[in-house]
Amino acid sequence: MDLLEPTRQAFALLFSGDPELWQIIWLSLWVSVAAIALIAAPSIALGFLLAKKRFPGQRAAVVLVQALLSFPTVVIGLAIYLLLSRRGPFGSFELLFTPWAIMIGYMMIALPILVVFTISAVQGADPRVYETARCLGADRLAASLTTLWEVRFGILAAVVNGFGRAISEVGCAIMVGGNIAGLTRNIPTAIALETTKGDFAQGIALGFVLMLVALGVNVLLALLQGEGGLR
Amino acid sequence: MSAPLVVLRGVRKGFGQRLLFAIGSLAIEAGCAYVLLGPNGSGKTTLMRILAGLDRDADGSLEFRGAPASFALYPERLRRAIVYVHQHPYLFHTSLRHNLEYGLKRRGIPAGERARRVEEAIAWAGLTERRTTPPGKLSGGEKQRAALARARALEPELLLLDEPTSNLDREGRAQTLALLAQLLAERRTVVVACHDQEVIDLPGFARLRLDEGRITLQSG
Repeated sequence: MDLLEPTRQAFALLFSGDPELWQIIWLSLWVSVAAIALIAAPSIALGFLLAKKRFPGQRAAVVLVQALLSFPTVVIGLAIYLLLSRRGPFGSFELLFTPWAIMIGYMMIALPILVVFTISAVQGADPRVYETARCLGADRLAASLTTLWEVRFGILAAVVNGFGRAISEVGCAIMVGGNIAGLTRNIPTAIALETTKGDFAQGIALGFVLMLVALGVNVLLALLQGEGGLR
Repeated sequence: MSAPLVVLRGVRKGFGQRLLFAIGSLAIEAGCAYVLLGPNGSGKTTLMRILAGLDRDADGSLEFRGAPASFALYPERLRRAIVYVHQHPYLFHTSLRHNLEYGLKRRGIPAGERARRVEEAIAWAGLTERRTTPPGKLSGGEKQRAALARARALEPELLLLDEPTSNLDREGRAQTLALLAQLLAERRTVVVACHDQEVIDLPGFARLRLDEGRITLQSG
């Protein structure tokens, strides 16, 4: 297969400002960013509690969240589909096959990643952090926030990973979004569709954007970490 | 004579079946400095942690300025009054200045007063040149001095120092000793758990000995 011609067409599409292509890119970006922005704080808080608090069933809760990490995303998509479908408990909101449904799916996919990374970061924190904060007069909330700040590079890695997983997700996005052109078609669902149709140019162009986004967020993470990330 | 700053009563601490110590009564007088002696494993650090509210699983009670309190429900106001410095102090991963500001912010000290106290504490610890240095780049002695300065800047009513000169090189130890001598000269209420003979010999310390589960106040 000649790869040179579709690649040339892909870059032509990108740089010509093809509205359909850029609409797909924009949808992917805003839905992923919004999903992570909404789910990050509660997930980090949950991860912190699961790492620090001792309560009956804590271990089972951690195992459950870890299990969610390896859940097939189509199953998560199916669950959300059933909840949002007309006959489902949230059917009256008419969210199915809208970007909002994809956002909910992304949130559910990112949640276990954020929680598990946060648990790992907080459990890896020096136990003196919380104690020092308390000894210096911080209340429990302030000491907890200080602990999270001290493991901020681990938390940032959680957010970046959650975002990366969301923006590249196909199965769930197709199930609850329907891959509708101009409405719910995003980068990974468009790549899957166009490739099956033999339109490699758009697939390559979108794949290039996806890789650029992945590279961009990881470079940003490295810059934020600075020397501290290597400590 | 005024009431003691802190009184411990009936404090028992054990791990499993093993009783670590049982203290009938211990009074810590305001303005006095104590060095807490005892062999390894006698419970010096544990006693300090109980006093600081970090170990709340101990029997007994304490009074602070005559007001009773329990270890299990350690009052937040005591966390502001009693400051404990770890044997290996932890400095937050920000600048030295921010480390010194941390507890002052928690106490709601206004920005101007905060800045004044931070500068004074940095100068006291001889760390003026290291003001903006990340903690990871400070030597062991500088970290210890920074932790002492951070605790002193809070002007606690009781300062608890756990082995402040351990694991320091000769220079770091000498500088920390000088700061400890200043704390004594300032008539701070301080309890120092220690094995270091040079610290023990500093003038002004009353000696508490924790051994075989009992605590005694020694003369001399």
